[in-house]
Parts: sequence; C-alpha cells; structure tokens
Amino acid sequence: MWTRSVNGRVLHFYLAGINNQNFLMRDQETGTWWQQITGKAIYGPLQGEALDLVLSDELTFGEWRAETPRGEVLAPVVQYAKEYDSNWEPQVAKLPVVISFPGTELKSRDVVVGLTIHGAARAYPWETLSRQSPVLDRVNDTPLLMVVGPDGKSFRAFVSRVDGHDAEFFLQANGGVDAGPKEKTESDKKTESKVKTSESKKDWALLDTTTGSQWNFQGCATSGPAQGKCLERIPALKDYWFDWRNYHRDTTVYTH
Amino acid sequence: MPIGPTRRKQSFLWIAFCLCALAAIALFFIPAFIIRPFTHQSPRGLVLAMALRQRAPLGTLIATVSCFALAIALWNLVDRWRKSFLVLALLIVTFSAIMSRQNYFEWMFHPIRAQQFLAASDTKLDAEEMIMAVRIGSDARAYPIRQMAYHHVLNDVVGGVPIAVTY
Repeated sequence: MWTRSVNGRVLHFYLAGINNQNFLMRDQETGTWWQQITGKAIYGPLQGEALDLVLSDELTFGEWRAETPRGEVLAPVVQYAKEYDSNWEPQVAKLPVVISFPGTELKSRDVVVGLTIHGAARAYPWETLSRQSPVLDRVNDTPLLMVVGPDGKSFRAFVSRVDGHDAEFFLQANGGVDAGPKEKTESDKKTESKVKTSESKKDWALLDTTTGSQWNFQGCATSGPAQGKCLERIPALKDYWFDWRNYHRDTTVYTH
Repeated sequence: MPIGPTRRKQSFLWIAFCLCALAAIALFFIPAFIIRPFTHQSPRGLVLAMALRQRAPLGTLIATVSCFALAIALWNLVDRWRKSFLVLALLIVTFSAIMSRQNYFEWMFHPIRAQQFLAASDTKLDAEEMIMAVRIGSDARAYPIRQMAYHHVLNDVVGGVPIAVTY
C-alpha cells in the first residue's frame, strides 16, 4: 500500500498496464506511470518521485478480526462477484513466468517474504519461514524477528529490540514449555496440526530471553517486565521470487 | 513522359496519407504490443511504449483527421480499388484513435468506482481468507486479497490519509 500524496498533491491511480508481470498504474492528475511494487514514478511529469509506503499486514481474516473486532472490510462489488475467484492463487501459479533468475535454489514462483532495511533487500522463503518461525535474522546491522502467526498463514516482521537492546524470541509451546526456533520433524508437524485448535491459537505467544515477557502476534508484550511495550514493525511483502528479485536486484536470500 | 501536376499531386497525397495512417496505427499498436501480459518487457521497450501511449490520444486524433482530409482529396482521383484501400485504412486509423483513448486493461479488471465497507461482524468472509489490513489513526480496514487480486488498485482514504491499495 502507498500514500497517494506527492508534494502536497493527492493523486488518483488507475490500472494502466503490466511490466514483466508486475502491474503499472497511472495517475489521473498528471498521467505519470508508476510501478506497483516499488511505488516509483518511472515515466511522465512526476518521473523520479516515489510514493511513501504504508505499513500494512497480510493476514487471515480470522486473525485480523480477533485483533480488530471493530474494523471495516471492503464489500465485494456484486456485479463482479463471479470474477473474485477463490481459487485464483493456484491458477496464477500455473501461469508462465517471463523472467527468471537462476543461481539460487528458489524457483520463479516460490513465495518469499521480502523486506528492505536501509536499502538492503532480503527475501525469506515462505516454506522456510513457516517451518522455522520465529526466525531471527540480522540485515544491515538491524536485528529482525520474522513471525508466522498462530494460523500458520499470517506473518509479520519486527525489529528485534526491547528497550534499545537486541532481543531473542522463542515460541512458547503448549503447556508452557519453551520451544526455540528449530527444524520441525514430520512427527512434530503431525502433532502440531492436531493441536492447532482455536484454544491453542489463543495460547500462542512468544517469549523474549532478555526479560522473559510474553509477546503476542502484534509484537506487544502482554505480560512480564516488558508488558505494554511493542516492537517496531517493519513493512514486509509476500511475493513470488521472480517478482521480488526483478525489482530488488541486490537482494539476499535467508537460508538456514 | 513527364509526370503532370495531377500525378505529382496524387503522389504527394498518397505519401502523406500513408505516413499519417502509419503514425496513427503505430501510436496505438506498438504500445499495445509491447505492454501485454505474459511477455517480457525490456527497459527500452517499456520506455518506448509509455512514450507513445502518452502521446497517442492527441497524436492519433491529428493523424486521423489528416487521413480523412487526405482521403477526401484523393477520392475523386483514384479508382475503386484504391477507394477500398482508403476506406480500409481509415477504419484501422479510426480504431487506433478510439482505442488510444480507452483503457482496455480496465475492461479486463474493472475498477471499484465507489467502494463500500462492511463491519467485520457483517461480512461473510471465511476465517482463513487472506486480507490486506491497514490501521491509520482510529480507522482499521481490511481488503480481501481475492477482491484486490481482480481490481488491482483502489484509491481510499483511511484515517484521513489518502492511500492506494494495490495487489
């Protein structure tokens, strides 16, 4: 998501084309062309300008509703209801890719979570993230905490610092036994799927090793010495590898 | 045998007509060909496409009007086969001029003109459905990805801040 104000002027965007499978938009006010994934004006009177990123989440509706019971949801447009294909993701995954970047283990349509820290881009393979969550990392000397939510589909990224000090986080397993970030065996996965009831989702919490506080998926401490404090959120984008790599030429890839 | 003034005039008119027709056709068809789904766009190709598309509405209009004027001038000077060619060319040129003013991407992915919102408790979304969510000030909004994957872009105002929701 992007802000729509540039130099104090509010712009209105519309779909205008496609550039290597990432869409182009134009603003009605000046006709400038903007790249969707970067928010940068690439041609026209405002060429060189950039939109400001708006911090947003990609979550399940259930997770969001639990966190934001009074929120509003975009209503479907009745006349286009049949265009809203609930099965669109697997169908899109079958479409041809027009640009590829060999040299990594990642395939073009592998899903990654991408972020940039002070200009340095990093991609976290979704398969690795969901297996190893929470993931602790460091990019451009910034400690990061990448978390997949209790629903196994929502994700968030935080700066892993509490009171200005680097912090390490672990997932609190059921029964109060601490479980550090680790590779999950097939047996672990089967056990995990059995206990993934709404009750276990409610018990979901992270623990930090510095203060021993419990933290929720919103990155806020719910108990312990850090109660009431929240971690700084970082914008992160779930994308196909080829698209992330195409617009972040120097991106590194998290491997573990 | 020297070419008479009438023949010279015809040649000039034909050359001018063809140039105008090619210009009108190029201004629409080249960008349409370059910017199409499931094909690779090179950086130079993309710049060319955007440059032509930007100038196409006015450019095709001028070229089309010129083509019609030249065709009228030629009409009584040519045989019926060339008249047919003129008509065909004018149809294609007119098509280019009309299409240069259309956003056919929005024919494929209709925009939301006036968005409506429902309270979270009133929606019929499944708990597992993925959404994009934003919170600004006291406003918290969710945009189902299934809907945004179709519309691609939505201009909204959340917490008094104008934002573009894109997917």
